Amino acid sequence: MSPKSRVSAAQRPCPQPSVRADALSKATGAERYALDLAPADCLFAGAFRPGAPSGSSPGIAHGRVRGLDTAAALAEPGVLRVLTAADVPGTNLQGIVHKDQPVLCGEVIRHAGDPVALVLAVSAEALRRGLAALRADIEPLPGVFDPAAALKKGAPLVHAQGHAAPKGGNLLLRAVIEKGDARKALRDAPVVVRGEFSTPAQEHAFLETQCGFAQVLPDGVLDMTVSTQAPFRDRFEIGHALGLDPFRIRVRAPYLGGGFGGKDGATVQCLLALAALKAEGRPVRMAWDREESILAGYKRHAVRLRCELGADSDGTLLAYSCRALYDTGAYAHLGGEVMELGMEHAAGPYRVPHTFVEGRCVYTNNPVAGAFRGFGVAQMSPAFEGLMDALAARLGMDPQALRRKNALRTGDTNSSGVTLTSSAHLAECLDALEAHPLWAGREAWREAAPPFIRRGVGVAAVFNGMGYGRGLPDMAIAKLELTGEGDFLVYSAVADMGQGNAAAFATLAAQELNQQPGAVRLLQPDTERCHPSGSSSAGRTTYTFGNALLKACAAMRDKLLSRAALFLLADDIAALELVPGAVRHKATDRMLPLAVLGRALERDDRVCVAEFLMPVAQDPPDTGRGFVIGFPHLFFAYAAHLARIEVDELTGRVRVCDYVCATDGGRVLDRSCFDQQAQGGAAQGIGFALTEDFSTRQGLILTGDLSTCLMPTALDLPDILSLAVEGDEPTGPRGLKGVGEVGLNGPAPALASALEDATGVRLRDFPLAPERVLAALKQRQGRARRKA
Amino acid sequence: MNVLFPRNMPQLVKALGEPGARILAGGTDLLVRLRAQPDAKLATLVSLDRVAALRGVALEKPGTVLRIGAASTHAELLAHPLVRARLPMLAQALATLGSPPIRNMGTLGGNICTASPAGDTLPPLLVLGAELELASASGTRSLPLADFLLGPGRTALQPGEALTAVRVPLPEPSARQHFEKVGRRDALAVAVVSLAALVRTGGKGAITSASLAWGAVAPGIWRCPEAEAALVGRKLTLSALNSAARIASSRVQPISDVRASADYRRSVTGNLLLRLAAL
Ligand SMILES: Cc1cc2nc3c(=O)[nH]c(=O)nc-3n(C[C@H](O)[C@H](O)[C@H](O)COP(=O)(O)OP(=O)(O)OC[C@H]3O[C@@H](n4cnc5c(N)ncnc54)[C@H](O)[C@@H]3O)c2cc1C
Repeated sequence: MSPKSRVSAAQRPCPQPSVRADALSKATGAERYALDLAPADCLFAGAFRPGAPSGSSPGIAHGRVRGLDTAAALAEPGVLRVLTAADVPGTNLQGIVHKDQPVLCGEVIRHAGDPVALVLAVSAEALRRGLAALRADIEPLPGVFDPAAALKKGAPLVHAQGHAAPKGGNLLLRAVIEKGDARKALRDAPVVVRGEFSTPAQEHAFLETQCGFAQVLPDGVLDMTVSTQAPFRDRFEIGHALGLDPFRIRVRAPYLGGGFGGKDGATVQCLLALAALKAEGRPVRMAWDREESILAGYKRHAVRLRCELGADSDGTLLAYSCRALYDTGAYAHLGGEVMELGMEHAAGPYRVPHTFVEGRCVYTNNPVAGAFRGFGVAQMSPAFEGLMDALAARLGMDPQALRRKNALRTGDTNSSGVTLTSSAHLAECLDALEAHPLWAGREAWREAAPPFIRRGVGVAAVFNGMGYGRGLPDMAIAKLELTGEGDFLVYSAVADMGQGNAAAFATLAAQELNQQPGAVRLLQPDTERCHPSGSSSAGRTTYTFGNALLKACAAMRDKLLSRAALFLLADDIAALELVPGAVRHKATDRMLPLAVLGRALERDDRVCVAEFLMPVAQDPPDTGRGFVIGFPHLFFAYAAHLARIEVDELTGRVRVCDYVCATDGGRVLDRSCFDQQAQGGAAQGIGFALTEDFSTRQGLILTGDLSTCLMPTALDLPDILSLAVEGDEPTGPRGLKGVGEVGLNGPAPALASALEDATGVRLRDFPLAPERVLAALKQRQGRARRKA
Repeated sequence: MNVLFPRNMPQLVKALGEPGARILAGGTDLLVRLRAQPDAKLATLVSLDRVAALRGVALEKPGTVLRIGAASTHAELLAHPLVRARLPMLAQALATLGSPPIRNMGTLGGNICTASPAGDTLPPLLVLGAELELASASGTRSLPLADFLLGPGRTALQPGEALTAVRVPLPEPSARQHFEKVGRRDALAVAVVSLAALVRTGGKGAITSASLAWGAVAPGIWRCPEAEAALVGRKLTLSALNSAARIASSRVQPISDVRASADYRRSVTGNLLLRLAAL
């Protein structure tokens, strides 16, 4: 497909880069990730997590630490230190909003991956032996593994004592969004459909596991290089936990080998910093292996929902109510914020006059849940779309038409009461699917199913908010330098975890400065050299930093033209323009090479800095109660997904045959990066909906490695077709919106819808595992037989 | 870790006499297992990589038996014209085994000696009536595969002994061969249930013999003579298969694990037979 773009030639005089800026170095293996940069003389640090299942123990998810025997470990040659909670200066508490997670646990472990000691050794082998020689005496405590049970009176308390015992028992946060009178509206609605839904936890499974290295420099600065999505915030989290001055901590974030939200917040940071503090100036490295990554890393929240949708008999939506239970695991992490975003999306991308959404985010002794692409929303979409299908069936309406009729458009008030001044093109996304041959030809395709195979086609409409939401300024500060050699250096200050924002920055700057793509180089985030610009998350990265960068580019252009005026003897700045590699006097075609300007100007004068603050909803509605920060959002990306599947009647296996996503992400800056986000999101969503099935029993992970936690492989995924529905977000850099997350929200509802089309059964519990599908088919056959 | 590279059979047999020696073929099972063992560094591994006699495919006994070298890789076998033409069910099993890199490293001998109930080549080799050729310092012997497999991870392999070849009788071209593996995904998936079937029919399409073997539903590869008997004399129709399926489902006693429940395995054990109707 040829990229469609409405950006006119005048706006884009320079050629588009043919490949993204980071493609070649990554494809050839030349790119340096965090650990590649570690010095050769590093010490090795590793965490001791005694709750993990091992040869000698089935594992403990909740227990009292009665003792720790370090003698044998310290006797191992090459083991330098064994640090415990007693060695942690500061609060020993990490956490982004709520500080409730010890760096090292002293009294209690609250999930099987909790660390109680940190071993420092001279080699990987010595570290392994040291960790193996440690013995902890853990007294098992009764645990809670089900969020509903955790809310019952008398349930064991996850945070019974110490640091952060919450007032509400195991309840981390209860919040409500209420607009109008949903209860009355549902009572009066001519048609009401309801259902209960559940989605499981999900493992990020980035290629590069959590890792980094750190060193206390002679001047006392703690210098860290970490695979992190939030280098600037990390300084404060580390500083708080370890009692350090955050401004004496330097964090560098090279390209990440994947993040997806799982590196938003402390992973290795505080442990590494602690190790470095005790390493007498030597550098220390830490890398989790795959099993530790799954054991101790954050997960998507498992969620249970009870929802009701009311409509008029012509399909106009009237009311939505939803009760949501989020399992945040042992620590808060971003639990409240994840739930907030989910709740804001509970009623779907539709006009709903009356809404009632209640969320409860609950502590359990399960693995810690946190940020994951589709931040709370991927758990909501199966429900709102499931009920839209149910409503369409009840009304005998075309499900596409029902969606289009209610789809949010610019100017509408959404289900949280926010008036959408932002761009919204969901209806066009639905149109694009409806016009697609895979939709048009679905009947014939379904009829042609081979023996024992049923075919089905499903569609889902989804959206995902962008930015931090009100109450937490979503700000970025871009710095741009004309180098002494006459090319440009962008000081990227938001980490690139693979989504391509750094490449987008290079493209934006090259276009804005009218330079060849190769003339813009990138520096990856470094808290000493770049300006604080927030985390790489929330679909904000390219939008917020991109806007700041465009401002910095404009300032740079003005500056260079005026500095060049003297050299070119031009007394009218407007007579000058930037052309690739030079400033040009339009009338005479005289040129001043940028290389000359670069040498002529002082460094201070070659730098431009500009900031951008994401706009927020004005006159925010008072519909939200209980949220700490982040309510409500103003900007959303929209998408409609189509799935064609085959269901095997003999095995219950679902094969995804064709998949199309139509995405409204505003204007498209780089078509291949845009498509990669849509495709990657859909692939990850298909894994979430079909194969992965992250599971625990009594808090212990059953899918603890990649032979049991089953990411889809190339054979399990069809080619995913990405269509761009280009709108224009007037506040966005060159009209774009963030598209990193919305793609994940589509597959679960689209596949469930296709499955219903194929089998007549709607599954509301995910994943759509063969087991569930086969049982549903059997049940249905039984029913059909009884009827016959 | 000590790794020996014998270059011929006498050197191999001698190397296997080293204390604690273990055979390393493709290493795709062995190295995974050693990773979990802290004393792995002390092991002596005997690589089959340089022993040419253990590789290759040859026709024996005027065209009725295929002799497969034990160290032949899955990819080599999958590409072999005789395997594809005459042993399609083995080819089907190999095609779903692991992933391209695993098939490039992993060997038939390794799959057999691992003796996993989910080993993909085992059900086809059993219904085909494969015989194994084993060699040690005291000579060679041969053993039916069925007698070699003793239980999960347990075989009749003696210390100092190597599996050198697998002899597979070639079914006549008219026999129907079928293999299907059900995993949780389409590559790198351990079988949840697998079925190998070899069905011969006589005049008028009546079944004269049916050999069935299931993987991953029992501690070893599971056979069900009652289901086989139920097919003999009938045509390969859905109703005949349904009765065999009911027998198989009622007799099998699988376990539940992280991949699937016992109930699911029981249903699919029978269901997979029905696919034969669509061939
Ligand atoms: C990612 C992954 C995916 C996999 N997927 C599958 C799959 O889908 N299906 C499946 O069936 N298996 C699978 N396996 C398991 C494995 O790849 C196969 O069993 C393979 O055939 C083993 O062969 P190998 O040559 O690698 O054996 P090795 O690992 O070298 O050896 C395995 C065992 O057999 C012994 N052995 C090997 N050769 C001989 C011999 N000639 N004589 C005596 N003893 C011998 C070894 O000492 C060892 O104990 C997978 C493994 C991995 C790592």
